[in-house]
Amino acid sequence: MIVSALPDGELRRLLGRSGIRLRLGPIVANIASPFDAVESALALHYAAHEVLPDSEFADFHVAVDPVPGIRRWIRPQAYFRFDANPPFNPLAASQAFPLLEWGLNWCISAHCHQYLIIHAAVVERAGRALMMPAPPGSGKSTLCAALVARGWRLLSDELTLIDVETRRIVPLPRPVSLKNESIGIITEFWPEARMSPVVHDTLKGSVAHVRPPAASVQLADQTAVLGFIVLPAFRAAEPMALTPLAKSTAFMRLVENAFNYSVLGRRGFEILADVVAASDCREFRYGGQLADAVAAFDDLALAR
Amino acid sequence: MSEQAQWRAATPHALAWRRFDDEVVIYNDSTGSTHQLGALAGEIMLSLIQNPSGMDLHALVRDLTLRLELAGELDVATEVQRALDDLSELHLAARASA
Repeated sequence: MIVSALPDGELRRLLGRSGIRLRLGPIVANIASPFDAVESALALHYAAHEVLPDSEFADFHVAVDPVPGIRRWIRPQAYFRFDANPPFNPLAASQAFPLLEWGLNWCISAHCHQYLIIHAAVVERAGRALMMPAPPGSGKSTLCAALVARGWRLLSDELTLIDVETRRIVPLPRPVSLKNESIGIITEFWPEARMSPVVHDTLKGSVAHVRPPAASVQLADQTAVLGFIVLPAFRAAEPMALTPLAKSTAFMRLVENAFNYSVLGRRGFEILADVVAASDCREFRYGGQLADAVAAFDDLALAR
Repeated sequence: MSEQAQWRAATPHALAWRRFDDEVVIYNDSTGSTHQLGALAGEIMLSLIQNPSGMDLHALVRDLTLRLELAGELDVATEVQRALDDLSELHLAARASA
């Protein structure tokens, strides 16, 4: 059963009791929270995700709960719990859903060492995945949302999982996280996008999430071969350019953006070297021309 | 610095490398560091890895001149010595007794 097929009130009931057990690609998370904002956001963003029975193993048991005491009434706060422990400081209760998303990212990046995990968006078209590793502000998620809007399969917006055995990309289709100006840009570019209300004044500024396409969620068990590594760099008022990038430079950028490269040690090096060797590496400078950017990426994907 | 000094890879068992075009990336398991080496430094490291008993500067210059077809005004010995010093600072290469 998927979340959108749950009977009325069942999502709230599960969240308020032992939690709802969701399949997130290769990960199963058990999520509990009494917050209405978490319930409504899960109903929106995880509508197509599979709900598993309590008898199924869950990799992570997480919760977003109110901070007790006076914080229940004065500037209410929420904290993220992982196996009952709060690994982070609490945030304003209005940020309960972003906190859940960030907490899940942390759970996966800090624990799932069966994957080499890169801070990167990854999408797929014509059978090959395109990874965009990049620091904040590079336009990674904006490009990711734009490509998904035009038919690319969403594999992940934030965490690229590379299977350490097969070197294939393992999908983790979850909401696309947009920040600040990119929220308006994507709203205009993709009017049909299902977007959550904007949450202001977070550590990352204003944030909103876009629901992953149901088709991407339904294909979450289909891994992909990495074909392209593209380093985006947003440069306002600069002309667009998609140019070849030295593989050694691409390799080092991946090292910088990997969460667990040092954990995997020599094995991490070999995995990265293999995927870089097999990929077409590019640098992409753009000033926000999303339609042109999508066209350039389409050409790249279809040219092989 | 004596030109007779022998150079070797500092911890050859701990090194993993990959050549991409004319550059080399190298991982040192003993330090946990990864390095992007330019063409000359990369080739020097590969020479040292392939010659675990060590190479002196003359042998390195001879080997690199042949393999990289170095010519012209380039003072190969000076450039190789400079690269060796840099590799030493990165704990990738080390001097050994002749």
